[in-house]
Amino acid sequence: MNQRIIQAYRQAPWRVQLQWIGLFLLILVAGMLIAGVYLYVSGRAAETGARIKALEVEREGLAIRIADMRTQLALLNSSQVMLERAEKLGFRPVEREDLVYLPAAGVSGREVVFLAPPPTSVMRENKLLRPAYTQSLWDLFYQTAYQYLNTRGGQGQ
Amino acid sequence: MNDGAGRMRLIGAVFVLLSAAIVYQMIRIQNSEHSRQLVEMFARTYNQQVRIILPERGNIYDRWGNLLAGNKEVYEVGIAPPQVANPETVARDLAAVLDVDYYDTLRKAESFRKEGNERYELIKDFVPADKIRQLEQKLAEYENAEKPKKGAPPSLAGVYWKAHLIRSYPENELAANVLGFYNFLDRWNGRGMLGLEEQYNNLLAGNKQQVVLPLNPTEIQEIPEIPPGASLITSLDRDIQAAMERIIDQAVKENGAESGTLVVMDPKTGEILAMATTPHFNPNEYWRYDEIFPVGSYFNRAISQLYEPGSVFKVLTMAAAIDAGAVQPETPFVDVGAIEVGGIWIYNWDRGAWGPQDMVGCMQHSLNVCLAWVAQELGPTQFYKYLQDFGIGRYTGIDLAGEQVYPLSLPGDSNWYPVNLGTNSFGQGVATTPIQMITAIAAMANEGKMMAPHVVKAYIQDGVQYTVNPRVIRQVVKPETARTITEMLAVSLENEASNALVEGYRVAGKTGTAEIPGPGGYTNMTNASFVGWGPVDDPRFIVYVWLEKPTSSPWGSVVAAPVFSQAVEELVVLMKIPPDEVRQQLASP
Repeated sequence: MNQRIIQAYRQAPWRVQLQWIGLFLLILVAGMLIAGVYLYVSGRAAETGARIKALEVEREGLAIRIADMRTQLALLNSSQVMLERAEKLGFRPVEREDLVYLPAAGVSGREVVFLAPPPTSVMRENKLLRPAYTQSLWDLFYQTAYQYLNTRGGQGQ
Repeated sequence: MNDGAGRMRLIGAVFVLLSAAIVYQMIRIQNSEHSRQLVEMFARTYNQQVRIILPERGNIYDRWGNLLAGNKEVYEVGIAPPQVANPETVARDLAAVLDVDYYDTLRKAESFRKEGNERYELIKDFVPADKIRQLEQKLAEYENAEKPKKGAPPSLAGVYWKAHLIRSYPENELAANVLGFYNFLDRWNGRGMLGLEEQYNNLLAGNKQQVVLPLNPTEIQEIPEIPPGASLITSLDRDIQAAMERIIDQAVKENGAESGTLVVMDPKTGEILAMATTPHFNPNEYWRYDEIFPVGSYFNRAISQLYEPGSVFKVLTMAAAIDAGAVQPETPFVDVGAIEVGGIWIYNWDRGAWGPQDMVGCMQHSLNVCLAWVAQELGPTQFYKYLQDFGIGRYTGIDLAGEQVYPLSLPGDSNWYPVNLGTNSFGQGVATTPIQMITAIAAMANEGKMMAPHVVKAYIQDGVQYTVNPRVIRQVVKPETARTITEMLAVSLENEASNALVEGYRVAGKTGTAEIPGPGGYTNMTNASFVGWGPVDDPRFIVYVWLEKPTSSPWGSVVAAPVFSQAVEELVVLMKIPPDEVRQQLASP
């Protein structure tokens, strides 16, 4: 009796084979899909990486060009060159007797140059790549959780 | 049949054993320590690149933002031999454009074909940008040219160039003796030499960094942004510096002097507005240093060359005596032409006796006898205490590399004799630098406060500008003493109708003529000096002039005083200081 019941629920061999083939194909397709996604992401990452490298090289080149241009400008405006240009244009150095002094209210005279802002208490962070591009998943979870907990703690105080 | 099966089994067993041995050997090699090291080495060599990033060297500006020291783009040109397509073209073009040896370049270009050389070959470094533009032009020509029917087409394939920066001084010789120089030809170990470049080398250089960058493009890694070295904003005024250099160069030439020094300082802050010394050189060609400054000569005489200052030193003696109450401007003195100090007789510069004088007359006629008497009245203890307070024998601490100092002999020292009190009072037997003298005397133009001399006014680091505040060294004499000395020296110039006077501006000052000591005593050669400041009622500048061994005349009043006058004529224009009369009119309501 028992044997008969088992036989009743037993699949035909070709069906079992078909199921195995189906399962295998399913796994294969899933694997290929994952591999395809991985390949796509890797390709994009490599392309982006190559572009970043190219941009970094360009940035270095630009920094060099800027420094060079600054010096070239200084060459064109150097004391000797300016003197020669002024003389060519028919100017002559001013002498003490040529000057007329007039009172000018509110004029405090020439200020010493400021080529950069003075120090402030808050310094801004200036990173090229945002942390999202470099931090791991674990870092993200940890940081988010830490911020969340801190915010909750802050609210309670 | 059985024999055949046995043989087959034997051969099979041999093959199985061989295969097992190969597998064993593979596993053994892969897990050996040497193999691990080899893999690591390959990973290091081919998967990542080690780069040393040199930050851009900081700039140096004058007080108005004019660039005095910057950086210029140059190129390193090299060949990757395996990539060279046409060695003849490469050698011909590089030899023509870069002025390098044709055969040496050809050998390098052919080295892969002939010797299998795969290493990068450096052809020339520090190539100017315009040469690279020529190479780029040739490259474009070859790319657009039609391929020849026979032979290899002309090509610059395999030639690479990479830009980098070198130090550049756009003003050439201007302020070179203050700036120093940077030995940029030593690309990886260059450092600032002398002047500001050496003094602030670490700040200007920034921090070079070694970074390991993956070559795998999927491993995104940011190249750390290396901040450039700090930039310096100096207290120098480019136009004043240029004018002072022109004046001192001319003075040296006209008077046949060996060297000349002219320093302009703001007495209220200690800022150096100009520091001109002759001879000077072009720091863009620093390798010519030895031609301009042979062994034994000084790069910046204003801070490095010690000399007996002579009568300009009398300003300090008189200031000390008046401050201590030993004498007053009206104190009478009868000059008999000689005075005995420590058993030695001291005479005036002209060996004459000037009769009844007051202290103004003593300064006006620069009487050694009178000043030796003043020093005696003051006493050695007080006299040397004041000299030390004035910084004689001590470093001023100016922020330039190469400052020299000669210790002041004090009572009790083995090299001090009682006569020193007399000779020191008029600037003999004491060695100073121009920067020491101007720093000490500037106290007279600043209510008795001696300011620390400095060249750097501010610096820029990480995008922020930090100001360097003026520093008071000490209140060396009372404000009324400083005013009294200023008035005495203004009157003495006016009484003397000195060559130092400037029309429309009241100035105070003192000449100095010091014989130069030689092996057998003092020689006929002199150091001619003048120190002066103005305008007297509100001093804005103090000027120190020193001509070494002038041949036109030995006297400071003849050769150095007119240089001061000339300098002030230019200074009042460049600093926009109205004549006294106009200034007083403008000040009155």
